[in-house]
Amino acid sequence: MDTFVLLAQGLAGAMEPMNLLYALIGVTIGTAVGVLPGIGPALTVALLLPVTYRLDPGGSLIMFAGIYYGGMYGGSTTSILLNTPGESASIITALEGNKMARAGRGGPALATAAIGSFVAGLLATLALAFVAPWVVRFALSLGPADYFALMVLAFVTVSAALGDSALRGLTALFIGLALATVGIDLQTGQARMTFGIPDLLDGIEVTTLAVALFAVGETLKMAASPSAGAEKIEAVKGSVWMSREDWKRSWKPWLRGTLIGFPIGSMPAGGADVASFLSYSAERSFARHPEEFGNGAIEGVAGPEAANNASAAGTLVPLLTLGLPTTATAAIILAAFQQFGLQPGPLLFANNAELVWSLIASLLVANLMLIVLNLPMIGLWVRLLTIPRHWLYAGILSFATLGTIGANPSVFELGLLLAFGLLGYGLRRFDYPIAPVVVGLILGPLAEQQLRRALAIAQGDPVILVSSPVALVLYGIAIVAVLVPLILRLRGRGKVLAQLASDED
Amino acid sequence: MRILLTAAFIGAMAVPAAADYTIMAPAAPGGGWDQTARTMQAVLRDEGIAESVQVVNVPGAGGTIGLAQFVNQARSNPEQLIVGGYVMVGAIETNNSPVNLEMVTPIARLTGEQLAVVVPAASEIETMDNLVARLRENPGAVAWAGGSAGGADHILAGLIAQAADVDPTLINYIAFSGGGEALAAILGGQVTAGISGYSEFASQVEAGELRVLALSGEEPVEGVDAPTLRDAGLDVALENWRMVLAGPDLTEEQVAAITADMEAMATSDSWQEALAARGWVDRFLTGEELEQQLAEDIAATQAILRDIGLVQ
Amino acid sequence: MSTGNPRRPDRPVLVIAAALFALAALIVWQTREMQVAATYARVGPRQFPYVVAAGLAALGVGTVIAALRGSFPEREKEEFGPMAWIVAGLVIQMLILRTAGFSVATGILFALSARGFGRRPVWLSFLIGTVFSFLIWILFARGLQLSLPAGPLERLFF
Repeated sequence: MDTFVLLAQGLAGAMEPMNLLYALIGVTIGTAVGVLPGIGPALTVALLLPVTYRLDPGGSLIMFAGIYYGGMYGGSTTSILLNTPGESASIITALEGNKMARAGRGGPALATAAIGSFVAGLLATLALAFVAPWVVRFALSLGPADYFALMVLAFVTVSAALGDSALRGLTALFIGLALATVGIDLQTGQARMTFGIPDLLDGIEVTTLAVALFAVGETLKMAASPSAGAEKIEAVKGSVWMSREDWKRSWKPWLRGTLIGFPIGSMPAGGADVASFLSYSAERSFARHPEEFGNGAIEGVAGPEAANNASAAGTLVPLLTLGLPTTATAAIILAAFQQFGLQPGPLLFANNAELVWSLIASLLVANLMLIVLNLPMIGLWVRLLTIPRHWLYAGILSFATLGTIGANPSVFELGLLLAFGLLGYGLRRFDYPIAPVVVGLILGPLAEQQLRRALAIAQGDPVILVSSPVALVLYGIAIVAVLVPLILRLRGRGKVLAQLASDED
Repeated sequence: MRILLTAAFIGAMAVPAAADYTIMAPAAPGGGWDQTARTMQAVLRDEGIAESVQVVNVPGAGGTIGLAQFVNQARSNPEQLIVGGYVMVGAIETNNSPVNLEMVTPIARLTGEQLAVVVPAASEIETMDNLVARLRENPGAVAWAGGSAGGADHILAGLIAQAADVDPTLINYIAFSGGGEALAAILGGQVTAGISGYSEFASQVEAGELRVLALSGEEPVEGVDAPTLRDAGLDVALENWRMVLAGPDLTEEQVAAITADMEAMATSDSWQEALAARGWVDRFLTGEELEQQLAEDIAATQAILRDIGLVQ
Repeated sequence: MSTGNPRRPDRPVLVIAAALFALAALIVWQTREMQVAATYARVGPRQFPYVVAAGLAALGVGTVIAALRGSFPEREKEEFGPMAWIVAGLVIQMLILRTAGFSVATGILFALSARGFGRRPVWLSFLIGTVFSFLIWILFARGLQLSLPAGPLERLFF
């Protein structure tokens, strides 16, 4: 097999001691910047890319791979430990991850995230190497109508994240959708809900909202609530490491997350955030103890973390096979390739086989470095929680504003951070779930734009929405996703109610 | 870990300290303006024209959000630059922007790029004439894919309709948020035709996945088997250029110094290499010629945006 | 299940309901102001905001009912003093960031937040916070080229 020979050659090159060092440096600085709330992988890679230009092509490629995976991974650590998601794809991780951290299980949560990311990265990178051409054919066949169906599915299943009260969950979701109407309408160029303020023309930045609702809102709530002050957070309860039970509960979510993340990442209009939402709902419906969801279920960390990493590798499928940058990060990677003298596109695999394979080998090595670097660090990371509360929260606020300032240094953006922080406090005070607000802001515009694109192409004929088999399958899954839990709940009603009653203090 | 971090840190610190220029890219990382700004950053530093250069991203609304911030921050400050271009001219009109290009100091036009009209290789449409015929028959049946509404791609679609005697308000233009997404829709045959910068299509054209019907510039491009829109019988020419601007209220000496730096940058080998790698054409222009060019483009853009119905 | 108090409506929850109605009205009002040309999609830029507004109004009705029934979870009494310190910290940081630079502005935020959690004296936290922020500034602004505003303190060293 030609493929294997080329991959082996690439790996041999990437394994040279000097290249390993570059990979390690890349992963380290990628994680260091990626860990900042509000600075996602795109900005991380854009910032750090110049550092790689000083090296030879092989070294710079591997350092870049390290930065890319490091930036992707960095967000999950703050999500889990500090309830401060660094980017949109790790919002879902905060839901269960932070609950685990508060119960002294931060170690296993970080470990399952790191190992899940590794497993997903490994499998997805291998998939990238071997099945990319077929995956991309399928991805290209999807039209706006299919994407609309995907968004409908995401909306339906994400109700799993709505919390225990439908009224409060839906209200949170609709607040997110209302925020999503702010900004210029892509299809017509018209400003909506901007009140003549130029800063609002671009809409509400997802990361600003997420950082404000989670980090600032949480800090305010902690400061205001007397009972939160009395609550003792134990950094470590039991082992820092994953128990046998944790492994048993994690490996399936890792695989399912990869299976969901890779294809969605390779779709031109997919995205790591959508993949993580779908993975979370899938885990919730497959879980043997669904009542643990919302209280720190390890599956809810393992699945979405695997999904968002697999999706990152999936993004490379259209990029390497077609030269299609489908995310901001991918566009920067494209620029990086050009710097290395590569022209991504349909001919890349044919014309630059050697470099492509050394990139894939670099990704595998960077992935390995990431876990080598991060697993031993977990013990150190969880100690963060032993920092006295006043320093910890003062530090969280400093980092939250640092991320916002670094991404867009404007007074207005900081004002939004404060306003949404207060909103986050209010939502917490009245027991509204937080995640649906951000979910609404992310999914709302996607669903709306895809719907309008589909209808415009069909000149207003709604039949287009149900005329593709893929869309029909997706609607089918959505219906099943609504009905099955409903039936299960009706059948097991007594048990669940008993469970709820015993949970009540 | 700490040692490594320090090592990485020192490696990156090899860049000398004092800030010479801060370049605002009024767009998200990855876009054309961001890449222009970061290429400038690399060349200015490597050529020793500036000691340290920072890039700031202020994305949104075709650059008008960044421009509004820039007008306030960069007043009388010769160290601040902003990247802009043709798209910004249109965005200022469609967004009713409170700031415009007259409030800043244009320094130099840097690069230009022709737009291309393409169809998937499997399409029945072989020539621009075929496309125009369809457009005349039923403008709604021709779905155009391109960037956001009111941008260069949309304007070109409107100009083509106008030149073909079709009411430009009737074009069925589908906006996509990123170049990649639009390209995917074109390759997948979801739309009839697509418009974008030629470099975004180049590798697909080489591989035979896309067919170029026409290019938007005044001159045909070497190595591209397609006529200009003029040669195809439509009286339209448009180039998506990018430029660099400085803040308001600068002295003549300051403007001259910045212009000299930009000239040194644009004539350097590393700049030319970077342009070639990205498929951008050198369109360096300064001084009065630049101002004249800018005034013409602004007037023409205002006219077409009104005709398409994007500006009342 | 929470029982609540059937006799008295939950006033703060009624305020939430009012806010939801107000938000719905605001969206409808702003959307009606738009001038929209006909599009091939038939679904234009107005429909989505209208759907959202309708949803918000319906949820407002639901919230009124919940308030009357008192079915919201019970809330503990909370102190607003500590919150005020933190909000003040964020406001001051926002206002002086450009002039004072990242380190000093963030130092103030750090000190006031720590004060919100009961840590005194403020001047000591301010010193700690400023040094901490300055180190971060060196790492990210100088080392990794992230653009963070510089003030007198930063210019003193770089």
